[in-house]
Amino acid sequence: MQASLKSKHTQPEVTWKSRFQEWWFRNRALIGFAFIFPWFAGFIIFDAAPFIYNLYLSFTDYQIGTVGTPPWIGFENYIEIFTDDKLFGKSMYNTVYYLGFSVPLRLIFAFLIALILNLRVRGMELYRTLFYVPSVVPLVAATVIFAGFLNTRYGFLNQFLVLIGATPVRWLSSPDAIKPSLILLSLWGFGGQMIIFLAGLQSIPGDLYEAAAIDGGTGWHRLLYITVPLMTPTIFFNLLLGLIGGFQVFEQVFILIGTNGGPLQAGLVYMLHVYNKAFRDFEFGYSAALSVILFLIIFVLTLMLVYTSNRWVFYGDAQDDEN
Amino acid sequence: MKHSLLLRIAIALGILLSFGLMPAAADCEGEVIELEFMNWWGAAREAYMDELIGHFQEENPCVRVINQVQPWDNRAELLATAAASSNPPGIIMSTRPETYQFAINGLIIPIDAYVDAHGTDLSVFYDGEIGLQYWNGELYGLPMPTAGGLTGLMIYNKNLLRDHGFDPEDPPDTWQELEEMAAAITVADPMGVDVLGAAAFGTDAEFVAWLYTNNGKYATDDGRTLLFNSPEGVETLEWMVNLTNNINGGTENIIDFFQDTSFSQGDHPWYEDKQAFLHINTSFFGHFNVADPDGYADTDSWGTMLRPYNGDNPDAHSAGTTGYNYSGAWAYTIPAVHPPEMQEAAFKFAEFIGVHPLGGCAFLFRQSRPSPVKACNENPAYYEVNPYWSVVLEGLALDTPVQITPVQGQLSEILSNYIEEAYFGVKSPADALNDAHAEMQALLDEFWAEFDADNM
Repeated sequence: MQASLKSKHTQPEVTWKSRFQEWWFRNRALIGFAFIFPWFAGFIIFDAAPFIYNLYLSFTDYQIGTVGTPPWIGFENYIEIFTDDKLFGKSMYNTVYYLGFSVPLRLIFAFLIALILNLRVRGMELYRTLFYVPSVVPLVAATVIFAGFLNTRYGFLNQFLVLIGATPVRWLSSPDAIKPSLILLSLWGFGGQMIIFLAGLQSIPGDLYEAAAIDGGTGWHRLLYITVPLMTPTIFFNLLLGLIGGFQVFEQVFILIGTNGGPLQAGLVYMLHVYNKAFRDFEFGYSAALSVILFLIIFVLTLMLVYTSNRWVFYGDAQDDEN
Repeated sequence: MKHSLLLRIAIALGILLSFGLMPAAADCEGEVIELEFMNWWGAAREAYMDELIGHFQEENPCVRVINQVQPWDNRAELLATAAASSNPPGIIMSTRPETYQFAINGLIIPIDAYVDAHGTDLSVFYDGEIGLQYWNGELYGLPMPTAGGLTGLMIYNKNLLRDHGFDPEDPPDTWQELEEMAAAITVADPMGVDVLGAAAFGTDAEFVAWLYTNNGKYATDDGRTLLFNSPEGVETLEWMVNLTNNINGGTENIIDFFQDTSFSQGDHPWYEDKQAFLHINTSFFGHFNVADPDGYADTDSWGTMLRPYNGDNPDAHSAGTTGYNYSGAWAYTIPAVHPPEMQEAAFKFAEFIGVHPLGGCAFLFRQSRPSPVKACNENPAYYEVNPYWSVVLEGLALDTPVQITPVQGQLSEILSNYIEEAYFGVKSPADALNDAHAEMQALLDEFWAEFDADNM
């Protein structure tokens, strides 16, 4: 009896389940790789390989339909961009202008709406849905609707301005109004950022607010000293995505004002210039060089943001660990 | 049991219908070649093109043409990616600058050998029309529709003229008369223009069109030297800018006036009696007839005239241009990557479109617009379907071909941008044209230097 018990303890029964678990444990790294393989293969085929090929093309004089190997011209495309391309500076300026206003405005707008939608009010689910609906509308449809709003004579915005006694604005025909129009349009799709903010707000522990209330903190104090600091990781995330997306703004501009960028090319954003060089002038090598420069700009800015984030982003958990 | 019977009937009908839709395949004794036809004959023209294809397939049962009508938006992108791909359509409808670009990059084949082999009679075309399809001495496509008739014609609203005390049967001949009428008719308010007399605003193509009505020229006949910044050119742009600013209240008014409107969709201000004079190309007649058949039939309410000329220039006269417009001088080009049998089929179809009476000839007649084939336009029935056919023919006779190069897209972009600066007062018309000329000529010189080196 004892012997049998002993053997039961020292030599546990080997079942297919335990074998499988053992195999799984020993090969867990391989299995992990197998799980991420579909994504990884997609990344290599659809992201990394085109990126490397694009980098190669940027050093060539690749034009539409170039037969065989495109002629290697070294840094000529890059030199031309920086010395001879007037539209490079113009499109970069337009893009930075657009970014400079649209990214902060969108962040603030999305954050404020998220704060409101975080209140405990009856029917809040309905309000949240309503505010998110514009983000579900396809960008093309949203832009077409927006173009109607901006119509000088019949558009809602000018009708409203006239109603309150203001001067109508030539939203899409005046070079001074094109960029503000695009910035206004960028606010349309704030729903994505709002949802992320809302999720962040809901993860803030309620006892912090209770403690602040006990200590006599006002609503403003709670916002400034609890909400905003604890939301900095979310703000950082949205800022980063906003910047990357802002540099690549294309579809809405393309639909709203066309490939030329509107009057005096006031709305010629960088990606439109890249598009025109490729599909209007058929200079694909040059266009590839323009896109590599954009990549480098975004890459450097992202690094700078990540580097400086240590100074203003509050990662509560990390600090706790250190303490 | 009942369901099974219905299913069998449905399958049988499906098979019969499939054969009905493919008459070419049914009669062909050899292998059927499928020819994808990339084109921009959308709207009402799609049905006409299907008809043309049907006639072609009756004569060529071994070729099955697949009519791939493309959306006008993103045209450049669609065309470039299709032409440059390893499996392009069998035959592509392209404009003259695109044809030239494809030609110098070896994407399409010259068709001279096919023309010789098939004995295609090129003399049926107007010289000016077929001539536009040659690059570097080789023919790359047969034209359809005309490159002419794009800029020399205007239509006008007789009711608006009548309402403002002008004789509706005596449209303006000169810029000065046009200005006078436009000033009387135009109604503007703080929201922009409500009723537009005439517009002289647009891209480079619009400037070049007016330039020829002031006895100016875009470039030398060999296409190597640009001439548009001549005194005639400066005078033309000054007149256009003044008309836009003084009568129409500024560039913004004109942009807003036409915003989100399309002539072919019927939401253009013309259809609401909001525009007195309108520059048209000959596709207008077909679109007008489809969008507003009653209005089209009522010739007491609208007329056709030649583009006015500068009455102060004794050498000037009404004129139009051919082959300059970026979206003009269409031809049907054959990609180089396809096997010879596919290219042969593509040529047969291009030839049918080009010269066959049931091809482009009938197709264009349905749209009341002229053909690049001389004999087609002599059809007396044209006078019945187009009330202003004699004016159309007069306009075609006044058209002047403009020489362009494969870098025309870039040149157009530069010229358009500088012209816009003149409209917005950033530069004087003279400075804008001189600056544009310097930049464009440098680009053109670079192109010709490379071209000459390659062809030495």
